[in-house]
Amino acid sequence: MKSAVGDAPASSFLARNEFLIRRLHSLSGLIPVGAYMVIHLLTNASVLQGSVMFQKLVYQIHGLPMLVAIEWLFIFIPILFHAIIGVLIIRGSLPNSGTYKYGSNYRYTLQRATGMIAFVFIMVHVFHMHGWFHFDSWLIAARKIGGAQFWPYNAASTAARALSSLPYQIFYVVGVLSCVFHLANGIWTFGITWGIWVTPQAQRWATTACLVFGLALSAVGLGALGGFAYTVDVETAYERENEMYDERVKIGDILPDEHKRYHPPAAKASETAQAPTYLNFEP
Amino acid sequence: MATKRVLIVGGGLAGLAATMKLAELGIDVDLMSLVPVKRSHSVCAQGGINSVNDLTRQQGDDEWLHFDDTVYGGDFLQHQPPVKEMAYWGPKIIDLMDRLGVTFNRTPEGMLDRRRFGGTLFKRTAFAGATTGQQLLYALDEQVRRWEAAGKVKKYEYWDFLGPILDDNGICRGAVAQDLVSMEIRSFPADAVVVGSGGPGLIYGRSTMSMACTGSAASRCFQSGGKYSNGEFIQVHPTAIPGADKLRLMSESARGEGGRVWVPRTPQDPREAVTIPEGERFYFLEDRYPKYKNLVPRDIATREIFDICVNEGLSVEKDRQCVYLDLTHIPRQELDRKLGGILGIYEKFQGVDPRTTPMKIFPAVHYSMGGLWVDYERSSTGGLVVGSPKNHITNVPNLYAIGECDYQYHGANRLGANSLLSCIFSGLIVAPGLENLLKGAKQAAAELPSSLFERSRKQHQSRHDALLKRSGGGENPYLIHQELGDVMTKVATVVRRNDQLQEALGKVSDLYARAKKCSLSDTGTWTNQNVVFTKALLDMFPLALTILKGALQRDECRGAHFKPDFAFGSLTATEPAERRRQAEAWCDRFEANNAKWLKSTVAQWTGDEVEITYEEVDTSLIPPRPRLYGLVGADDIEKVWNQRSAARETAQNGNGSTAPAKLAGAH
Amino acid sequence: MADSHHNPNASHSARSFEVRILRQDGPGQPSYWERHRVEYEPEMNVISVLQRIAAKAITADGKHVAPVAWDCNCLEEVCGACTMVINGQVRQSCSALVDRLLEDRPGEIELAPMAKFPVVRDLVVDRARLFRALTKVKAWVPVDGYYDVGPGPRVSPATQEQSYPLSECMSCGCCLDACPQYLKVEVERLEGESAADFEARANNEFDRSFVGAHAISQAMLFNSHPTGATSAGPRLDALMAEGGIQVCGNAQNCVAVCPKNIPLTTSIGRAGRATTIHQLKKWFGA
Repeated sequence: MKSAVGDAPASSFLARNEFLIRRLHSLSGLIPVGAYMVIHLLTNASVLQGSVMFQKLVYQIHGLPMLVAIEWLFIFIPILFHAIIGVLIIRGSLPNSGTYKYGSNYRYTLQRATGMIAFVFIMVHVFHMHGWFHFDSWLIAARKIGGAQFWPYNAASTAARALSSLPYQIFYVVGVLSCVFHLANGIWTFGITWGIWVTPQAQRWATTACLVFGLALSAVGLGALGGFAYTVDVETAYERENEMYDERVKIGDILPDEHKRYHPPAAKASETAQAPTYLNFEP
Repeated sequence: MATKRVLIVGGGLAGLAATMKLAELGIDVDLMSLVPVKRSHSVCAQGGINSVNDLTRQQGDDEWLHFDDTVYGGDFLQHQPPVKEMAYWGPKIIDLMDRLGVTFNRTPEGMLDRRRFGGTLFKRTAFAGATTGQQLLYALDEQVRRWEAAGKVKKYEYWDFLGPILDDNGICRGAVAQDLVSMEIRSFPADAVVVGSGGPGLIYGRSTMSMACTGSAASRCFQSGGKYSNGEFIQVHPTAIPGADKLRLMSESARGEGGRVWVPRTPQDPREAVTIPEGERFYFLEDRYPKYKNLVPRDIATREIFDICVNEGLSVEKDRQCVYLDLTHIPRQELDRKLGGILGIYEKFQGVDPRTTPMKIFPAVHYSMGGLWVDYERSSTGGLVVGSPKNHITNVPNLYAIGECDYQYHGANRLGANSLLSCIFSGLIVAPGLENLLKGAKQAAAELPSSLFERSRKQHQSRHDALLKRSGGGENPYLIHQELGDVMTKVATVVRRNDQLQEALGKVSDLYARAKKCSLSDTGTWTNQNVVFTKALLDMFPLALTILKGALQRDECRGAHFKPDFAFGSLTATEPAERRRQAEAWCDRFEANNAKWLKSTVAQWTGDEVEITYEEVDTSLIPPRPRLYGLVGADDIEKVWNQRSAARETAQNGNGSTAPAKLAGAH
Repeated sequence: MADSHHNPNASHSARSFEVRILRQDGPGQPSYWERHRVEYEPEMNVISVLQRIAAKAITADGKHVAPVAWDCNCLEEVCGACTMVINGQVRQSCSALVDRLLEDRPGEIELAPMAKFPVVRDLVVDRARLFRALTKVKAWVPVDGYYDVGPGPRVSPATQEQSYPLSECMSCGCCLDACPQYLKVEVERLEGESAADFEARANNEFDRSFVGAHAISQAMLFNSHPTGATSAGPRLDALMAEGGIQVCGNAQNCVAVCPKNIPLTTSIGRAGRATTIHQLKKWFGA
């Protein structure tokens, strides 16, 4: 605020386009990010119907052409946009729910808290399961530090293994619930921001609807987590997945792709092996 | 030539209306106010704003009747041309405010809804919920903001007007003012200064007026040679909620809906009001006015409540004067439906539910009919010459006064819902006059030698510096203010007695001397409210003395000025001839009294005291007639009066087509 | 009936209570707490407490101090001047009754200046930004002029009932002080800077910061007026400029703290809808 009159700083790009950026931020939270999250959680919850069911759905997704482009264009970039703008928004706020103890104000503060948690969670989660990038040198490095633990053609078994430790389970519960709250409450604020629910009655109705949605999606998310952590028998699932893979390759449904298959470390028995190499191919 | 400018002091309805109109006329305006203009006292007006309208017109109403009601209500003490002009502008002003977006209440068809107010038989009053003053002020504030954005208006909010700058010929060339934040004192050259600073309620300590209503701006004009007229006419509202800080209005509708006024027969009975048995309650209004009971006219209710507390010592509380206004016998549902809004106010500020506990109320100083003396130019038709620079000019050339701080429209008593009209009207009418004044001026004030402005600035600066340098241990300005308020409230409100007024003049003079020895608890040079208040306090005294002296000298009853020693009695005789003789005598006395007292009080400040002269009132349009409300024998007096009027008319011109002199409506 | 006035509870019968005031001698100066003791009187409000403190100007420790500075005018909660933070909540001090405050927090009242506006001195703050926002959204009816040209447009009672509550806004700033998205902007006058330059620079700064709920609501008020609607486009443009409606975070404290119960969040919702449509029209030229 100390600038002299003559050189009043020209508004930045962000400032000049604040309205459009904020609206895009609001929209991106719902479509595609929120919509993707719903599909993602529903897909994951299919594990409750067995690892085969889950694997089938994963095959469907991986049957999509240009998957990497789709991932970046419709998932990662929107998430990063939503997250980075979100951080900027949070920097321009001063939550005060300790002083003004109203429901909507608590939700306002929670929206920002869950947003930050979700940001960290998603960054870690994508690294943990997906690995972000799929070129070999990166994957080797990532897997050395516990990343890229999900192999699409051994979907349930690798996911279950990745979620077998309690710290990860807690981390995922917190992360998923944060994401769900953030989405459900985000839909509510979206409705006001875009002028869909305007009157107090309409907003009360929307609150209820968003609450129901949030509870349902929480159930789905927690169901998926519980499904991976406690219903999947890793060994059996692994075998079933490999059978499915062979069948599909045989009928020509998919092309063989060893990158998407999990191979246990070759020297599994040898406890003295220098370092497990997770990127091992069949000879 | 430098641009000519007008300085407006006060951003209430009058000041904003003038600012807006001047800007439209292409004149640059400096607008100065103690508070952000949107927070001016006009926001407190609740009821509405009067004007003739299409509906009342078809019921026989017209502008002339509104004019008649206003002068009759004011006991004929106002010059009639400005009042006539105002009544004729009324409908146009409502139209204008409507166009500006005021959220007036509407009829189902979308027209302005109207309600009926005191002193008239017609539904003339347009209103916006219970906050009409606020809504009108905001509409004007918005227009002024628009002109401010366009660069025509420059606001000086949180500035205290210290006084006009007069040149060697006594012509006003601007003003000196002080920034209440930085305490900077500077002069504002101006080709005309318009003071619209409102009423002087704080002279009475607590009143229904806002904290900015110190009267200091008017007093500073008065002390600079401006005349002050009819100062003794102060309207007291019968029912206000006493508060430790302020007296807040309680609408008369509480009594209209069946509220009963009483005090315990035992002085200061310590019991809870609701537990006091009927037999130990004194319903004094019902007792003394069996016909009208609690709905006696406003001035009578005010006097009786005042009397029972002050002179009979029956106040509900020991340290504070108040009576009960009781609604607890009315079913809660009915109260909520009819009086919800005003009961909410009581509850909010008293923290007590008036549906279950009787309210404590007391009359409160509400409005000053008097104010700075201003002139006008009469047109051939008995109204004003629009565009005349004489309209609203004080006796100091180029210094004008508008709104509550001028004396022009309400005579001895103001009609409800007329103040908002007079404020807007005076602001609008002053503008074209100023346009012509500025056109005629050879030189802009800004081009005058700076020594003139610097001289005035220095005078105020040294007064200010001297106050700050006062040694400690002197009088406390806040306590002196309390004492002043107590004296004024006791003797110069509802009932006035010469011995008390005489004594009060001495007391207030003593207080004035003590106030000059005030020392400050804050000698700082940043947002020093202590020194600003002390200056305002000092400036209250010349007006307080004017009110007291005016009241003391005026040996009659007129409007808000009631002296029991000079009240006209009722007719006592029962035998018709004797009664007739008494009525004749009554009318003789009335005419003699008017010959002596139907005059404006005109006060001037000599430097240390008040000098009062009297000035004839222009009653050429509607001849004065007696107000006989509630008087025993009113019919007989009316008969005599009408005969005399008819005789006069015949003698004058042989046809009866001139102004109606008959007792059209003895309210 | 249990009536606090007639049955003072224990804290009242102490006959005096403590008032903690967050004072500041001027802009840029450090703030500090000061304790005053005030004799209890029935039916006090915070204004009368401050009046007693000003008249005495002695702290609880017996130190002579400059009287506390504060802003007030109407004392009827219609002018908006006396807004401050009382026991942590922003509100008008005229309608803050001591009995109620002591019931909530026995023996003590805490007063602080509004948090989102620069302190001028003690409890006095500079709310210029609040009024500037009204200019930004052109909160007025753009009439041709003030000559008599007949009545205004007809307005249905339904519209009046919607507009009246919005027009009761007294620019007190409660909605802004409680808003977590409304951050304090303090512009300091530079050495040698003229008043006009300073004002222009401050206004520029204000215009880039959040306009706040009150101004959004006023924009909706004037957009719903038949004549006011002729400037609806520019008003929406102002709401979509930097610091516009998009900054709203839907905490909805504004509507909860508004002393006049103005449906501010309804206005915000309406403004959200209107700006959405306005943007689409601008793109597609409808």
